[in-house]
Formats: sequence, C-alpha cells, structure tokens
Amino acid sequence: MNRMSDEGGIYKKMATYDKRWVYLALFAIVLYSLIRPIGMPIGISAQTKAYKTELDTLQEGDLVFSTWNMEFSGYMELKPGVLATHKIFIEKGVKLCIAFGHFEGVALPPEIFKQLKKWTDDYDYTEGEDYVIIGYVFPNEAAVAALAQDFHANVRVDWKGQSIEGTFLDEIQNAGDFDMISDYTTGLATTNLINHVVLQYGVPMVVNSIGVSVPGHLANLDAGLITALLASTRGGAELEFLINSPGPGLKSMDAFTFGHYSLIIFIIIGNIGHYGWTRRSGARERTGIR
Amino acid sequence: MNEFLSFAAVVVGIFISFAMYTTLYGRPNPLRSWAEFSYLGAGTGVSVVIGLTYIWNTAVLGIQAGDWILIFSIILGLMMLFRVHPTYGYISRLPLAFTVGTGLALSLRTQIFTSFIRQINATIVKLWTNVPLDFLYRVTIAVSVLTILTFFLYTMELSGPLFWTSRVGEYLMYIGFGAIFAQTFMGRLGLFIGYMESLTTPTWKTPYTVGSALICLIAAILFERTGLGEKLSAG
Repeated sequence: MNRMSDEGGIYKKMATYDKRWVYLALFAIVLYSLIRPIGMPIGISAQTKAYKTELDTLQEGDLVFSTWNMEFSGYMELKPGVLATHKIFIEKGVKLCIAFGHFEGVALPPEIFKQLKKWTDDYDYTEGEDYVIIGYVFPNEAAVAALAQDFHANVRVDWKGQSIEGTFLDEIQNAGDFDMISDYTTGLATTNLINHVVLQYGVPMVVNSIGVSVPGHLANLDAGLITALLASTRGGAELEFLINSPGPGLKSMDAFTFGHYSLIIFIIIGNIGHYGWTRRSGARERTGIR
Repeated sequence: MNEFLSFAAVVVGIFISFAMYTTLYGRPNPLRSWAEFSYLGAGTGVSVVIGLTYIWNTAVLGIQAGDWILIFSIILGLMMLFRVHPTYGYISRLPLAFTVGTGLALSLRTQIFTSFIRQINATIVKLWTNVPLDFLYRVTIAVSVLTILTFFLYTMELSGPLFWTSRVGEYLMYIGFGAIFAQTFMGRLGLFIGYMESLTTPTWKTPYTVGSALICLIAAILFERTGLGEKLSAG
C-alpha cells in the first residue's frame, strides 16, 4: 500500500474536513446573497395557494385571533409569512386580536407594526379600533383552555394594561366567536389551540410554521385539524409573490438557494471522501472515525 | 438622543450577535461568554417581569373583579416557592401535583382525538380518485403505513413476505427521516437567513454587520492562538 493511501490523502481530507469551513462558507454565501441578490425565480406551491385561498374567505369586520406563538428567533424565520399575512388582514379590514405564546413576544409588535406602517396608514388601521394586542396569555395548556371557554374572565386588559372594554372584543364570549385563528408557530401553544379551540368550537385555523415543525403540521393538515399551512420562510416568500408585495422573504430566496447548494456540495465532498478513504486504506476501522 | 440610542442598540445588537456566533469556532472565548451571559441575564429579567405582569393581569385583576376563587391560585403559586427551602420543600409538592394533574387531565381529554383518532381517520381514505396525483399520494400513504407497521412486528419472526415488507418499510422510514432532516436544515437556514436579512436591512447596517463579523472572527482566532480564550472566558 502506498504512502498516500496509508495516510488517507485527499480522501481523508475530504472526509474529515473541519466543520468550521462549512459555517464560514455558509456565512459568506448568505451574507453575499443578501447584499447582492440576483432574484432567482421561485415556484408557488399548491400549499401556499391554498393558504391564500383560505385567507381570501375572510370578510371585512371578521374577527381573527392572531396567535404569535414564537420567540424572537422564530420570528426571524416566520417574518415573511407574518408580514404578508397581516398585510392581507389589514387590506381586508378584519379585526385582529393578537396574543403571544412566549414572553419574548412583547418585543414583536413594535418591530412588526413598524414594517406594516405603510399599510396601517393607508387603510387607517388603528390599535384599539381595528386590532387589540392582549399580550402574553398562553403560559400553558390550562391557560389556553380557560381563555377558550371564557375569554373575558381571563383577559381584562391589553398588553399595555388598558381595559379592553368598549373594543370589538366585547363581541367575544368564548373562542367560538372568532372567525379564524391565524397561528405563527415555533411549536408553543399551537397544539393547545388545536385541542381547545379547533376541536371544541370548530374554528378554522391556518398555521405559519417554522421548517422543523412542518412535517408534524402536514399530518394535522391531512387530518383536517388545520385548514391551511404556510411553510417557513419559503412559504412566506411565495405568499409575498402571490400578493405582489415583495419583502424579506423574496429577498432571502437567493440566500436560501445558494445555502442549500453549498450544503449539498459539502455532503457530496464528505461522501466521496468517506468512500474513497475507507475503500483505499481501511483507515476507518483503524482510526475509529465514522 | 433617542435616535442615537436606537442606533447604538442596533450596533451593539449586531456585535453581540456575532460574539454569540463565535461559539461555532469551537473554542472558549470571552466574547462568547459576555454575549451568552448578557442574553441569559436580559432574558431572565424580561421573563420575570412578563410573568409577574401575567399574574397581575389574570389573577389580581380577576380578584378585584370579584373572581375570589383566584386567591387559591395565588396561594398555590406561593406554595411553589417553598421548593427552594431545605426544610419545607415538601410543601411545593401540592401545587406541583395540582398543576400536573390538571395539565394531564386537560391534555388527555383532547389528545386522544388530535393525536390518534383524527390521524387514523386521515390515513384511512378512499384510494381511488380522479386526480392522478392524489391517487399516487394516497397509495403511497397506504403502502407506507402497512409496510412500516410490519417493521415494528417484534413478537414474531419476520420471514417470507413479511421480511420483504418490513425491509420496504425500513427504507420508507429512511426516506421519511431524510425528508425531516432536509426540512430541519431548511428551517435552521431560514432562521439564520432571516436574522442576517434583518442585519442587512436597511443597507446602512451592512458595514456594521460585516465589520462585526470580521472583528469577532479575528478575535476568536487570536484568543485561541494566544491561549487567552480559555483563561478569560467563564464556563
């Protein structure tokens, strides 16, 4: 056996490259694609079209329970879907009751409504009259169940401590009075909402989920527990395209594409190296590296 | 003044983010420790304030409105604090038992429908449909369910047709796991790209983002090379 195969040579380098190169490459590719996007075309999935169709069933004045079941980090992934969906809500003139499922939710309204300012100004969409933020109300399943049964016994003030009396929320007695639940989720109280609102009161629920939870929510979609699903940033970008309002989703699609390509290249390099190295020298057995 | 504070918050936020990312370098360094403990401290502070606000809004305001039964929830909550007391720690078991019992009862009542009955119902569907793609989809579900179930037959020897169906089931599971891994990577990348997008929009942030990334990378390398990283970082 020659020296190269003993040491593993190029194959060993390919199989055991430092994972920090992967991080560095991803950083560089993502950053560059965001700074200099080339606008690669994207296709629109049937799932996103169904989500848009579901939102189109809403009429002016309908009551939507917008549940922000996400931490600030999760919002970074769901941002395109959150913004695009709320643009639709504002344009349609639906009444929004916004709740958080995580204490970090309190950081979200200023961030989100700053980006929706053009829409809230154009449609004269104001807090208190058209939307009410009831704040962090879902610490656990019991809280969701209680709120679903008797809304006003559990929510008396909004997130700023002002009474919700006299707002459109007076019409709500229990969760069954909502026309739709629009959930943005990293997996916090979503199951509880399905259990205690969808199952109990039959309120249709649309979900914008982070990528990790999409397979689980696809099962819920098939089972009819949720009526539509918007998948991760990609879904948000598709929705932006459908409503003709480019935003952070479409801007980040190049980074998405090139990020995936880079990972595929790293996987191919690793696999070629692994097979080449093990076949040539049997080093895998000797070194114990698998 | 306010504008300067907003600007400073953004710039510090960008820098602290990249300081946190230096954890990917795989060696301890004080920048990462600083970022990590700042985040933990701030996060804990915010969670305490929000938690207390929640108690005020739901329990205290409820009691003021005449919902006296909520007094018991406050008492149970206070009993939970005995958890840290070395002698009277056992008192916290009562509210814990109450919480676990309530949670389980609420959950079991509905989980049977969402996780079992409705999922099984969704699996048992008519195979034939006029839409070819739907037909393919339903056949795939039926074949996958049946073959994967045979893989989990542990009480009998898998031989003959059962051996082959279990093998098919095994490979179908691999495909499923692969799809879940891909979805997970897409999700994590989406999270990262979403954050990077917010660090490069509006464009005036870009120089600070690139600068912070370079400074933190160079600092991480220097801390490793000089051996100071281990010495100066906590944990």
